[in-house]
Amino acid sequence: MLKFKAFIYTIITLALLFSSSGFAIDKNKEYKLKAGFLYNFARFGQWQTPENNRDAFTVCSPDQHFIDVAKSALKDRTIKNLPLTTKHVLFNQTSLKACDLLFITTNTITDWKKADDVSYRNIMVIGETEKFIENGGHIRFFLTGGKIRFEIAPFRLQEAGLSMSSKVLRLARIIER
Amino acid sequence: MILSKNLIWPVIFISPLLIAETFSDEDFDLDALMGMDVQATSAMKRAQSAFETASSIYVLNKEQIINSGATSIPEALKLVPGLIVRQLDNNQYAISTRGLASRFSSKLLVMIDGQSLYTPQFSAVYWEALNVPLYDIERIEVIRGQGGLLWGSNANNGVINIITKNSLDTRGIFANATTGNLINSDANFRYGGDIGSNGSYRVYGHIKNVNASKKSTAYKETLLAASDTNKQHSIGFRADFTPNDAWDLMFQGDITKSKIGQNLRAAIGDAHQTIAFSENFKRTDSRVMARIDNRISADANQMIQVSWLKQSGSEIYLKEEFESIDIDYQMNFIYQSLQLDWGLSYRNNDVASEESILLNIDKGISNIQQYGGLFQIQYSFIPDKINLTLGTKLDHNDLTGWENQPSARLIYKPIKNHLAWAAVSRSIRTPALVEFDYNFKVTGVSVADALGTNTGVDMLDNLLIPSYLNGNDQVESENFTSYELGYRISESQWSIDISAFHTDAENVAVYEPNNQVEQFYPALALLQAGQIAQAAQALTRTQLNFDIISVAESTTKGFDIVLAWQPFDSLNAELGYSLTNFAYQLPAGTSAIVGNDSINRQVFVKANYALSESHKFLAALRVENSTAYNTENYTALDLTWNWQINSQWSAAISGKNLFAGSHLEFNNTQEAYTIPTYIDESIAFTITTVF
Repeated sequence: MLKFKAFIYTIITLALLFSSSGFAIDKNKEYKLKAGFLYNFARFGQWQTPENNRDAFTVCSPDQHFIDVAKSALKDRTIKNLPLTTKHVLFNQTSLKACDLLFITTNTITDWKKADDVSYRNIMVIGETEKFIENGGHIRFFLTGGKIRFEIAPFRLQEAGLSMSSKVLRLARIIER
Repeated sequence: MILSKNLIWPVIFISPLLIAETFSDEDFDLDALMGMDVQATSAMKRAQSAFETASSIYVLNKEQIINSGATSIPEALKLVPGLIVRQLDNNQYAISTRGLASRFSSKLLVMIDGQSLYTPQFSAVYWEALNVPLYDIERIEVIRGQGGLLWGSNANNGVINIITKNSLDTRGIFANATTGNLINSDANFRYGGDIGSNGSYRVYGHIKNVNASKKSTAYKETLLAASDTNKQHSIGFRADFTPNDAWDLMFQGDITKSKIGQNLRAAIGDAHQTIAFSENFKRTDSRVMARIDNRISADANQMIQVSWLKQSGSEIYLKEEFESIDIDYQMNFIYQSLQLDWGLSYRNNDVASEESILLNIDKGISNIQQYGGLFQIQYSFIPDKINLTLGTKLDHNDLTGWENQPSARLIYKPIKNHLAWAAVSRSIRTPALVEFDYNFKVTGVSVADALGTNTGVDMLDNLLIPSYLNGNDQVESENFTSYELGYRISESQWSIDISAFHTDAENVAVYEPNNQVEQFYPALALLQAGQIAQAAQALTRTQLNFDIISVAESTTKGFDIVLAWQPFDSLNAELGYSLTNFAYQLPAGTSAIVGNDSINRQVFVKANYALSESHKFLAALRVENSTAYNTENYTALDLTWNWQINSQWSAAISGKNLFAGSHLEFNNTQEAYTIPTYIDESIAFTITTVF
């Protein structure tokens, strides 16, 4: 019994030692998966009033780390017969002009909230932080059981001139007005 | 199953290079993305990466379960290559892998969402009373070979973990109804919805009414009619809450009541003669569990799970109750090139069995406690190239004390999409109470046989005296050491998974006659004095004991090959071959309780074909060739056609055991009491609606 207790104390100490030494916040895998979801939102979303005669479909984010992951994960993909590109953006109308889809990460949510004078008309805005939809976002990722799920506010999409296929909606938690 | 689908997801060691890889086409599927884990670490009871696992793993996915038209878990398990799934009748099964399957001792650990269904009275799973709604199963993970370190004791031949869907993914209504020549009616209903803005739930119900087989049973000359009916009803629920990305809470419960017909034989006659009879037995099986998962960071998580299980069974000669509480804690984290996993577990088992004319109990053990911990370290010598996993599980149980189950597993990836693995592990099986405390009356033995000679008086020679399989507290844990090697290749259109194993077992429980010759002396003295009637009277006070002793050894060796091929999106096929060679090393004078020296071969072919979006076919062919079950070899084909009528309605027609004729699958009648029934072909028609 004593041996068992000593063993348990050892592993608890060991565990605490490692856990207190801190982990590198490695969101690469999570961001890769989220990039995959964005690709599907792009495939199954409808942009009702395409303003630009675009030559590319552009996934934007103010988070350079996410853009780096998404760029390699979504390499050589097309959306609606347009090549898919990724772009690191700032919160101003000029920078956002080319965007079809905008992902606001945990690291960039504060900047997004501050930039309340920017119009996101015709841009699908996706986030991952709590109350993202209450704050004006369209789609929010959350985690359950270690897996990615998402909630969608169809009325917000509609306000921005967008809609989403039922194929995606049936998998989402729907946020009503 | 092409391994690369949604199963290959490198979880163990994060390499930036790996993460930067471009998605393959199939990974872009929304369903596949939803099945992938964010965590680099994973709760160990839920294997995530089939390709990266250093054991022989097969993941049966939800599409196959649905497309197969299976109406029970054992039927679904027939889709797993290398798994021995043999029916005693329509309800009762002997299921195992890499060893001997038996109704009462298959040395296989079965879990639902990590909750063990192992009963301490018998090393058995009551498959006939197990209700898990098949339409809400996420996947079934099957490990061929031992998993003692991660999953606990009694996972000697393999592990089956049934993982149900998060209730967030089962919102809405599901209903189906099945009928056929064997299944009178089988109906399911589920309703799922949201709870507030961060929770979800489902409730479900199931009723089943199965007819008896048409063919007669097999017990020697006694042509009992088949009585394998099953009337069952279940209700259950699951709720999940996700207050934020760091925490998950899950609750679930299920209660199933069954009334099942069976044919038995037992020494229940007045003069201890064995009589075959039919009965209906009743079971109530309940389980409840709660789990809290905490994501400490992308590289660390912890989990606590509390589960409760209660099973009550009532047969004419066997009334048993079993109740357990399990508490499991696990933590997993990555630190540089190391992943550390550790956990603590506690289990309280309350058991009660009533004595009957078939059962004597020695001590009346009514409580067994188990506690212990596991520690595992995974080290990446060369990231994404060579990984070594070392660990052990230390457990204490009230019957045999401390038990140690160490394991070492090595992964080597020579080139992309290739993986070699090797493992050495030890696992134990703690004795069940049937071996440790119970004495079951087996049969009546004639005095002549018991004495080994004739008395010269026919009346005495033919007199039957009862014999008991004498469980006793000298029985020790069985001890398995397994050596495994495996190689996998996974390309976009095909994959191959080869594994070979050699397992040596020690302290295997067998029986030895303990005739206690002196008990016959009074009768023999009376016989010599010519007092025949008195001698007969004296003999009624004698009994034969077959003591269970832990002295035998066994060797199991063999291999499994599974080749998967997906030439185009609409067709995927699997070809499997499994060989298991089992041999006892029995000390003189002892005999095996379960099975015998045998060779088991299985050829397995499975094909999924989508003729169009709305018409899908699944065919599974099993060629079973074995000397272990006292039956003829047989080939059985299961074929299902699914028709998606529209987005809400679908229909399916299934044929089971086609071309096998009426056949026996398990005829080891020496394993107490069981009488097998001929297994018939069956046809079933199912209609399903979802909205």
